Amino acid sequence: MAKTKRKHFYDYGLLFAIIFLTIFGLVMIYSASSYTAQIKMGDPGYYMKRQGFLALIGFAAMIVISLIDYHKILRFAVPAYLLSIVLMIVTMVAGREINGRRRWLGIGSLSFQPTEFVKIANILFMADYIVNLGKKINTMKGFLTVVGLTAVPSALVAYNNLSSGIIVFLIPAAMAFMVAEKKFVWAYIGLFAAIVLVLLFKRPAAAFLTSTGILKPYQISRVLVWLEPEAHPLDGGYQVLQGLYAIGSGGVWGKGLGQSIQKLGFVPEAQNDMIFSIICEELGFFGALLVIVIFAFLLYRLFVLANSAPDRYGAFLCIGVMAHVAIQVILNIAVVSNVIPNTGVTLPFISYGGTSVIFLMCEMGLALSVSRRIYLDY
Amino acid sequence: MKTSQNENPTQGRNKGLTRPMQAKLAITGMVILLALIALIVTLCSIQSNYSDEYNQKILSQQRYDSRDIPARRGDITDRNGSFLATSTKVYNLIIDPSQINSNQENYLEPTITLLNEVFGFETAELRNLIIEKSDSAYVRYAKQMTFDQKTEFENRKEEINNEFKQNGDSRRVYGIWFEDSYQRYYPNNTAASCLVGFTFEDGLEGSGGIEQYYNDELTGTNGREYGYLNDDSTLERVIKPAQDGNTVVSTIDINIQNIVEKYLMQFQNEMGSKTAACIVMNPKNGEILAMANSHPFNLNDPRDISAYYTEEELAGFDDAQMNDAWNSVWRNFCVTDTYEPGSTSKIFTVSAALEEGTINGTESYLCEGYKEVGGWKIRCNVHSGHGWLNVTESIMQSCNVAMMKIVEGVGKEKFTKFIHIFGFGQKSGIDLPGEPDTAQFIRDPADMYSSDLATNAFGQNYNCTMVQMAAAYASVINGGSYYEPHIVKQILNSQGSVVNNIEPKLVRQTVSPSTSAFINNALSETVEEGTGKAAKIAGYNIGGKTGTAEKFPRDKKNYVVSFIGCAPIEDPQVLCYVVVDEPNTDDQAHSTFATNIFRAIMYEVLPYMNIFREGDDSEYEPPEPVYFGLDKKEETEGAADAAQSAAAQEEVSQEQVQENNAAEEVQSEGQHEEPETKRAYDTEEYVEHFTPEEGEEEEMLPGTPPGLEAETVPEFTGL
Repeated sequence: MAKTKRKHFYDYGLLFAIIFLTIFGLVMIYSASSYTAQIKMGDPGYYMKRQGFLALIGFAAMIVISLIDYHKILRFAVPAYLLSIVLMIVTMVAGREINGRRRWLGIGSLSFQPTEFVKIANILFMADYIVNLGKKINTMKGFLTVVGLTAVPSALVAYNNLSSGIIVFLIPAAMAFMVAEKKFVWAYIGLFAAIVLVLLFKRPAAAFLTSTGILKPYQISRVLVWLEPEAHPLDGGYQVLQGLYAIGSGGVWGKGLGQSIQKLGFVPEAQNDMIFSIICEELGFFGALLVIVIFAFLLYRLFVLANSAPDRYGAFLCIGVMAHVAIQVILNIAVVSNVIPNTGVTLPFISYGGTSVIFLMCEMGLALSVSRRIYLDY
Repeated sequence: MKTSQNENPTQGRNKGLTRPMQAKLAITGMVILLALIALIVTLCSIQSNYSDEYNQKILSQQRYDSRDIPARRGDITDRNGSFLATSTKVYNLIIDPSQINSNQENYLEPTITLLNEVFGFETAELRNLIIEKSDSAYVRYAKQMTFDQKTEFENRKEEINNEFKQNGDSRRVYGIWFEDSYQRYYPNNTAASCLVGFTFEDGLEGSGGIEQYYNDELTGTNGREYGYLNDDSTLERVIKPAQDGNTVVSTIDINIQNIVEKYLMQFQNEMGSKTAACIVMNPKNGEILAMANSHPFNLNDPRDISAYYTEEELAGFDDAQMNDAWNSVWRNFCVTDTYEPGSTSKIFTVSAALEEGTINGTESYLCEGYKEVGGWKIRCNVHSGHGWLNVTESIMQSCNVAMMKIVEGVGKEKFTKFIHIFGFGQKSGIDLPGEPDTAQFIRDPADMYSSDLATNAFGQNYNCTMVQMAAAYASVINGGSYYEPHIVKQILNSQGSVVNNIEPKLVRQTVSPSTSAFINNALSETVEEGTGKAAKIAGYNIGGKTGTAEKFPRDKKNYVVSFIGCAPIEDPQVLCYVVVDEPNTDDQAHSTFATNIFRAIMYEVLPYMNIFREGDDSEYEPPEPVYFGLDKKEETEGAADAAQSAAAQEEVSQEQVQENNAAEEVQSEGQHEEPETKRAYDTEEYVEHFTPEEGEEEEMLPGTPPGLEAETVPEFTGL
């Protein structure tokens, strides 16, 4: 047997996309936040520096994780899943309440959004569980078990953060969809279709959710704002409307980096959920297109990794990560362009948010770790 | 062998995705791609459909928030640079409710608590305000905070915010800032109050005095910080700095002003009058050195007039009455009020005659106590008559009959011409607000009866202001140059360099030097030997003239008494004019009230101005305590002060002189029932009421001063 030289593969394309998006994100955070940071914190670079510091930590974590065999990491899948549930319960009971929502766990000046951990823990757990389940997932019992195991953390997250709850539910669903056969394929497609319908047929959905009392007051107002943003200019509708103004005013080439007017206090917390509108305003349609293309490239790399992964554990990890990034990118841009209601989903790598960037980097580390197990034959 | 996954499920875990899985993954990828494309299309449609509309919306909601940078109002100084008015920097406290409400739960309470802690503001009121005006970004909550207050607040704010930060608390004190402003401050409070004036509307508008007249010089131009959108629709910020106001250097000497005010107030306390007022000026260039009246007010609190009205009165006033009350206090008597000047104007009659050549100064006139003019019997102050008087003596004794005889020779036309040459009937041009139009007060020669001419000769039946009188007098004694009276000599910019020197403005020549010399001699004699004796100060050659004018309506027996004089008479350097309107006594017609004030003022002003006594030091008298009241005896009993009793003695002897002169006269109709009271009177003149001739209805001094029928005296223009 003529042994060909085998060599570790490392997905530098993915790494490039991550680094590009992170640095681009820092630039845009600085541009979007320097005015308000100067006023509130006395330092125009406050948000940028913080985000940069946490991105560095995340980057280091990513490199470390990418060098570890993901099979070893998968051993912690079940404990991570259990821990995520515990953390959510703790948050519900003892979390910090900000703007009427308990989403933060904190000690001193350190605070942490457990939701982000729930996402990565579920990816790990579901990759492990689904692959181990194998064909049994295509039985009614298997299907219900997967839905049940997904629903528990999703429901806990959705209690205080509906959009994250949807994301936490959709990621495992997307993973399970890959192994579904026959009627279960249609079950998953039906599930997706239901969510898409809910998102597209906003009016009756909102009326239904409002009347049944499933949504909390602030969520109802968000839904109302989503229905007619110009009729609710002082709440979130204001945010959406100002975001739309920003997008519309950017034109094809934008006003130029740093030239946004809307970030001067009109788009509230422009460095967070609405940062894509500032990108549109400053860099125009061209810049927005470029950002979407980079995301598409990143997703394509994850798609390729999933296809060429040496085993299904690796493949399903990549699918989970891809689903996560794809869902957040699509939801975020859809919110900013007022296709769906204002839900508070961040744009991966670019929006300001320390917990989010650290765990995203960890997920990327997992994907890179999978890439390292691919051997190239020469 | 079939496919491994059918045989051994665990084997599949170690392989990649199966075909169906890859297919579903590909489908998922396609869905993601389609979603992204759909979003791109959405963005594209937003930008192509709404680009212009949204751009306009953005520009329209952009507040080009511009902000005033206040200019500092210029200072007013006296001639030596002492501040009469100055501006100190203060701060306005601005609350920005929109910022506080942007994160109400974190900002509202700490901010309100700190405001309450540092300034003691009501928390409930603040809370309501911030919630009511939630959209506003600018609420000026408090004015005129000092630098210390501002610093204290800012330090405390930093402390508290640091504390919050360290504890990871996201609460902050937020949305409060301070705006620069200036507060007008008058270091001398009441001194020169009617002259300096005050400001309202945060020092933007001057009211009265120099503050009003020189408002444009003092105000400066506010700067502005503003944002605008340039051609590329980017926001530019431009700061146009404030141009501070100019400093106005007045001709006032605050020390002389204080001396004048001291004696006016003393007179007001000891005897009292409706108004007592005084002008001190330099006769050689028209510079006013001091100008005061007897109703000063605190410039730092001009609306406090409780010194002149009781609390009940003030409480009972409606708005119009309150305004009237304020205006009457703020009114600058010296500039705004007119009156009949009386005998002080006799020098103008003599000057006119000398200039016209109708007399040469050597004539003599017989005074029999009255003269009949146009069917009126117009009396002299001494009813028994002065006997034969030459021209100088007629001024010394202030003889009305001689004046009437002199003016007859001059005639209506020429006399009126000289009245105008001396500046009566026209504005003096002094740089102070509120000067009335006095043209109406002077009769046209065509409308003049011979009785009008006769009474005009001794200063009745026409009105003038103190400033007019002082300026005209200055021209006669300085050799004939009429200078426009002025109160400001220099304008400096905020850096202190000279912007404008205001030179003395020579308006016209009134009399020839020889006439001036003749009059100066007569004035000197008046003080030495005549009716102005009370003005004499040992060691100085003072020239001056008394005046007692009967006010209209004549039957009220109200008088304006005055004294105008200068020193030294050979080379007049300072002119002082004192007017007392309606002295607070039953028998008002004694110019000594004014003369005593004149003497007291000059006694201090002359040495201050480095005008020294002639003669050796042995003649030096220690300064006399001055007393303006009537009841001498009671005063002298207590502290038997040598100087005071000497002064009293002098006054007694004057009384005797006067009694000799006036023979039986003074209280003709027995209206004064206390003949025993020792009064320091010097009744050099007395315009008697007419005793009606048979058939005649009129009982008083003939004629009415023109212009008085209609209430046309201009109001104080302050408010």
